[in-house]
Amino acid sequence: MSDIITYNRRFLILVLILRLVFVQTSVNAQNLVRYDLHITDTIVNYTGKSKKAIAINGKIPGPKLEFTEGDTALIYVHNHMHHETSIHWHGLILPNEQDGVPYLTTAPTKPHSTHLYKFPIKQNGTYWYHSHTMLQEQVGMYGAFIIRKKESAQISEHTVLLSDWSDENPNQIERSLHNATDWYGIKKKATQNYGAAIKEGYFKTKLENEWKRMHAMDVSDVYYERFFVNGLTDEELKPEKPGDKIRLRVINGSSSTYFWLTYGGGKITVIASDGEDVVPVEVDRLIVGVSETYDVLVDVPKDSISQEFLATSEDRIGHASVWIGNGMKQLANPLKTLKYFEGMKMMNDMMRVNGNMRDMGMNMSLQQMDMNAVMYPEIVDQNKNTEHSEHGHDSTHSDLVTLNYAMLKAPKKTTLPDVPVNNYHFTLTGNMNRYVWTMDDKTISETDKIIIKQGEITRIVLTNNSMMRHPMHLHGHYFRVLNGQGEYSPLKNVLDIMPMETDTIEFFNSAYGDWYFHCHILYHMMSGMGKIFTYQNSPANTQIGDPKKALKKVYQDDKRFYSSAEIALESTGSDGEIAFANTRWLVQTEWRLGLNDAKGYESESHIGRYLDKKQFLLAYSGWDYRYRNSIESEKNIFGQTNTKDKRGVVCLGIQYTLPWFIVADARVDHTGNVRLSLSRDDIPLSSRLRAWGMLNSDLEYSAGLKYILTKYISISSHYDSDMGLGAGLTITY
Amino acid sequence: MKTKLKYLLAGLITVFGLSAFAGFQKNPTLQSFKVLENCGMCEKTIEKAALKTGASKAEWNKETKMLSVQYNPKKMTADDILKGVAYAGYDNEKYLAPTESYNNLHECCKYDRVKVKQTTYLPSAQTNSLANSKPAQEVQNKNELESVYNSYFNMKDALIRADSKTAAIKAKELVDALNAVKMNVLNTTEHNAFMKFLPDLKTDASKIYETKAIDKQREYFSDLSNKMYEIMKVIKPSSPVYIDYCPMYNDGKGAYWISKESAIKNPYYGSQMMSCGKVKEIIK
Repeated sequence: MSDIITYNRRFLILVLILRLVFVQTSVNAQNLVRYDLHITDTIVNYTGKSKKAIAINGKIPGPKLEFTEGDTALIYVHNHMHHETSIHWHGLILPNEQDGVPYLTTAPTKPHSTHLYKFPIKQNGTYWYHSHTMLQEQVGMYGAFIIRKKESAQISEHTVLLSDWSDENPNQIERSLHNATDWYGIKKKATQNYGAAIKEGYFKTKLENEWKRMHAMDVSDVYYERFFVNGLTDEELKPEKPGDKIRLRVINGSSSTYFWLTYGGGKITVIASDGEDVVPVEVDRLIVGVSETYDVLVDVPKDSISQEFLATSEDRIGHASVWIGNGMKQLANPLKTLKYFEGMKMMNDMMRVNGNMRDMGMNMSLQQMDMNAVMYPEIVDQNKNTEHSEHGHDSTHSDLVTLNYAMLKAPKKTTLPDVPVNNYHFTLTGNMNRYVWTMDDKTISETDKIIIKQGEITRIVLTNNSMMRHPMHLHGHYFRVLNGQGEYSPLKNVLDIMPMETDTIEFFNSAYGDWYFHCHILYHMMSGMGKIFTYQNSPANTQIGDPKKALKKVYQDDKRFYSSAEIALESTGSDGEIAFANTRWLVQTEWRLGLNDAKGYESESHIGRYLDKKQFLLAYSGWDYRYRNSIESEKNIFGQTNTKDKRGVVCLGIQYTLPWFIVADARVDHTGNVRLSLSRDDIPLSSRLRAWGMLNSDLEYSAGLKYILTKYISISSHYDSDMGLGAGLTITY
Repeated sequence: MKTKLKYLLAGLITVFGLSAFAGFQKNPTLQSFKVLENCGMCEKTIEKAALKTGASKAEWNKETKMLSVQYNPKKMTADDILKGVAYAGYDNEKYLAPTESYNNLHECCKYDRVKVKQTTYLPSAQTNSLANSKPAQEVQNKNELESVYNSYFNMKDALIRADSKTAAIKAKELVDALNAVKMNVLNTTEHNAFMKFLPDLKTDASKIYETKAIDKQREYFSDLSNKMYEIMKVIKPSSPVYIDYCPMYNDGKGAYWISKESAIKNPYYGSQMMSCGKVKEIIK
């Protein structure tokens, strides 16, 4: 399925040569283990369409790097691309400048150059590596990093590297998310529109949901065409010893997909998380957060049958499978589609009108209460069945054991030394509509680094006040998850935290330099969801040059502007809007162009800034120009007269998003004219049909319908009090 | 300007036309696969499941249990189709259906799953009865009811063929055979069981003989089969017999029949729904 075709002949030859050159040389005397990673732009074809991607040594995922505890890693990263890159060693305890975050800890690997990483391997377990530059991780820059114990275990094992793939350019994905596209919802059949709500008897739920200013929520934001295990949708594994156990090293190397793991051939025994061993615990299923790793044991089927180890995306639109065993393929029970309206109902209860979440006094923590469970058919329907039917012999689901963090226990004491503790409380916050993800309502670039001292303890209480779950990852340290296991609290480097949960983690300040603590959902991180810990009195980092300049580069990621446009070309003329927005600012210009002078032409341009935490309030100033060839002047409801005959004004205004997403806009121009308007966009009537309306104090009004054909094109029609009824196409970008 | 537009349009049409033509030219792959299902009822479901995966054509043959599919090999593989069919509940050459999907099938469609994981699919009680095939039960020299049973099986075969005339003749033979049974050969329990059901058996058999309408015959046959089963449980036939169940008969109330072969041949519907039914029990 995955044909990787290199850009051109030159590259093909290059890769061939490199493959010959690429050998893993280990110099035994020093336990030096060398790898050469060649990064190239490439073309892949997973779905029938050729798409750009990035390969390491000609492959996606990159090669599995294997070490033994005590080795020294010597990794040459050769960047053959025309743009810079980096590699971060996820979960590894290493010197700060080897961490691989460009400009923060490590020099970026410039185009056509080589960067050497060298660090001692001080731990063992399942880890991985990936690019920490822009969105490169999404298009293939990841691989497994496996460290064996010195005494090797006599059990067969296999690495299961999970990932997600979209045919869409990740930059477009990111831009679309910031512009609240519902195209992914359409693709996933998850628009949760009014039509479906009425049909399924959830009209009130939907109404209340929009009243509380929530758009249709999904458990994940992006539509992916494929989910992979080691780059394949199906991987066959034929272990030599039927009836034996096999160790699967599961790595979630996806950019924004959580995976449910289930196995048709029996229970799953969890033996390690994020590389660290845990006391074995037997479960029916577990969810593996973005960037988490879990080592599990499963049974190799005795009979001539192949059982399915199934990794289902949390939104349940796809899966990847590992087939274990020799013989006929026995499909595992699939996870059925989510009941979105049940989730919406639950969200309504949790959400206050002001946009804050309340946990209704449930003190949720450590994944123990999965609120999404109201959406899982295998649990909801099963409970219904056992209530109503007498032959409840198949009660398997109601006692499904799902792993949660409270079940993880370290095999050895993990207590920290008795030293001063510094407490922090971070709240995870977000604005789904504008796709702004923050901590304490601030992006990475808006926050100062947090200064910590070597030899002390940092204890963090994390509360998730957003509507999505976040896999929070700490670079270069293990933290203890205070999960009720006391001295045996497990060590992790990623903590998945569900909406409304509060968890406590702590780590010993044992390093130097700057370390990221961020949400590992790629698009959340890029929008600024994270903090930087910095050790007091750290030695200067020679790799990053001028620290101020470098930090600016780091901060640039979440300051970027995203463009959007909606241009209607209809029989009455053209209406449209082009906007550029970032975390706080909005630059926008809109127009209404009639077909002739009598119908007139108008344009308004604004620069605005979002003022409140929830970003419901926007203050702006701008400039309007109108031209219309008619003699009559108009009066607004305040009795003020204005003419639209060649009028240019400067204006000031504010916009506020009212419940039910009605945007109220009040403005005054330099001549003293006041205009109030109310509008509502994108009312989802059916999966693809949207309605909108507008009314203002100049007694202008308009309303329209839009039928979405593709991500960028809709058929549209609207009535405008000035222009009349028109129909045509709308281009949405 | 206008002519230019015309040319452009003509050009566009040619391009589209060609590409459509090219679409037809792509030689779609045609392949057949074994897909298990018990009665004809699920033919539609199987075909639908195959089409849902993107196959352009899907036809399932009841007799051969072969699914013929046509698909574009550039867009998909046969594996995709068979996976889809298995997800709908039907075991096939490459994939075994998930347990949940199999359990959700209509009773009638539930085929016997291959030896694979038999232990899990059969309720434990049944597994035992199959496994502990009690070592050669006190072999009776000759079964006194053998001719009764044979008449029953002959009548049943006639009903399968929807041959009401032969069914009537065989019913008459059954009445005669019932009358000829020597009670003194039977032990007490056998005697009691036989006497308990004898009157009903005779009435049902006579009715089947008297009426010539196949529908009526089948109605009586249903009751008769129940009684016959009760007797067979006590006076075991010399060779194993299969208690079969058709869940659809009599507006879904269901009906039993007894057969000497394990293969399902439905006497209630005959060729209309020959393989509807399921072995519920084996008497040996």
